[in-house]
Amino acid sequence: CCSRVSYERDTKIINAASFIIEREEHTIGNIVRMQLHLDENVLFAGYKLPHPLQYKIIIRIHTTSQSSPMQAYNLAINDLDKELDHLRSAFEDEIANYSSTREY
Amino acid sequence: MNEKENKGGNNDEPNKKFSIWDLPDVPMGQLPPHLQLQKTRVVCKADAPIHTDNISYSGAYASIGVDNSVHLDLFRDNFKVNVIRLTKEDMEFDMIGIDPALANAFRRILISEVPTMAIEKVLIAYNTSVVQDEVLAHRLGLVPLKADPRLFEYLSANDTPNEKNTIVFKLHATCKRGERRTVYSEELKWLPKGSELIKEAGQADSKPTTYTSFTCSQDMLPEFSEDPISPSEDKIILAKLGSKQEIELEAHAVKGLGKTHAKWSPVATAWYRMLPEVLLLEDVEDEVAEELVRRCPDKVFDIEDIGHGKKRATVARPRDCRLCRECVRGEGWEERVELRRVKDHFIFTVESTGVLPPEVLFTEAVKILEEKCERVISELS
Repeated sequence: CCSRVSYERDTKIINAASFIIEREEHTIGNIVRMQLHLDENVLFAGYKLPHPLQYKIIIRIHTTSQSSPMQAYNLAINDLDKELDHLRSAFEDEIANYSSTREY
Repeated sequence: MNEKENKGGNNDEPNKKFSIWDLPDVPMGQLPPHLQLQKTRVVCKADAPIHTDNISYSGAYASIGVDNSVHLDLFRDNFKVNVIRLTKEDMEFDMIGIDPALANAFRRILISEVPTMAIEKVLIAYNTSVVQDEVLAHRLGLVPLKADPRLFEYLSANDTPNEKNTIVFKLHATCKRGERRTVYSEELKWLPKGSELIKEAGQADSKPTTYTSFTCSQDMLPEFSEDPISPSEDKIILAKLGSKQEIELEAHAVKGLGKTHAKWSPVATAWYRMLPEVLLLEDVEDEVAEELVRRCPDKVFDIEDIGHGKKRATVARPRDCRLCRECVRGEGWEERVELRRVKDHFIFTVESTGVLPPEVLFTEAVKILEEKCERVISELS
């Protein structure tokens, strides 16, 4: 089953929105929150599981007027993708290196 | 008059602003050492750790003019992996330059979201042993199977079990009269052609069907003909039989995730810790040094002779420190020893149950995290 993302703009605060992601938990929530904190245009980023028996997370983002929550969210996930790609190739290279130096 | 106006620069403006960054020995764009310590190290005091949070906000040090943002290329430059130990069953490696959220995500995925094959349905034909049917079935489920889960598909409720989603094992053990014996996991025989138990047919004249419908034998696939599927350990005790007791059963294994049941978890466990740093804040000599070496159960400290019969303690193996805090317990020890952890250096240990080699497990975990990220991206603009 694939997870679904829904988007709710905050009526009272400008440039603020919540993303409700079904069927995900801390594994993704904490990572996306961490990546959002590294963005200079993000003023507030947080995630929560509204109830432990319900399998979904809510990520709330406030940005400056230079960016929008949707932009910040997509940028964060794209950056994460690139980081993970780099991490995987660095790990595979290191394993190959280690194995080749082991076989004398 | 001259001394008042002479402020080491122009005499034109009487109130010239003086910036500390203009002094030649203040490093520009770097944090002062105490803030650098707060940012990069967790200090483990005798009662509790301090500075445990991650200061990731890009404007955290804006007031002193230091940019705290991390861009992708900065991550690429700082990230390093070092493999310390790699065997068929477990692996220990270091990841430097990542955030604890990422490290925890890998740990969570390794434990619960990397799929494996495990026995799910047990069809018991005959069981006269002292081990009850359900207990025996539970034990069979926990046996790790050496089958690559990437070659199989998930079996959902309305699918028929076929060679692409099921592995069939058979167990037939008897015990001779007057003896006792133990049934080990090596007696689980793989049936590549599928189930051999015949279902009770509704109509008397229809062809007898079994519980699975294999269209071709599983050992036609090259991966299985060279390396047949079997439990990954031979000497797992399944049951014990007494005189004239017998067990005859067939077990069907399917693909699943550790989230559903721990039998599908591919790791015995996976954990990480931060790199320890142990500092001696003052010179620890003679008897105090000997006591320090005696106190530490992990042999982190060593004694060296500095001549004239005097001895001094040094930190020899900080990596082995397991934070028992014996060296800072008691009066006056906190002024001598400081225990720290490096916030972005993680020592991962992955112990595989034998399903897949540990480095493959970690690569699968990274792939699964990448898939999760792709699923979570929002298509609206």
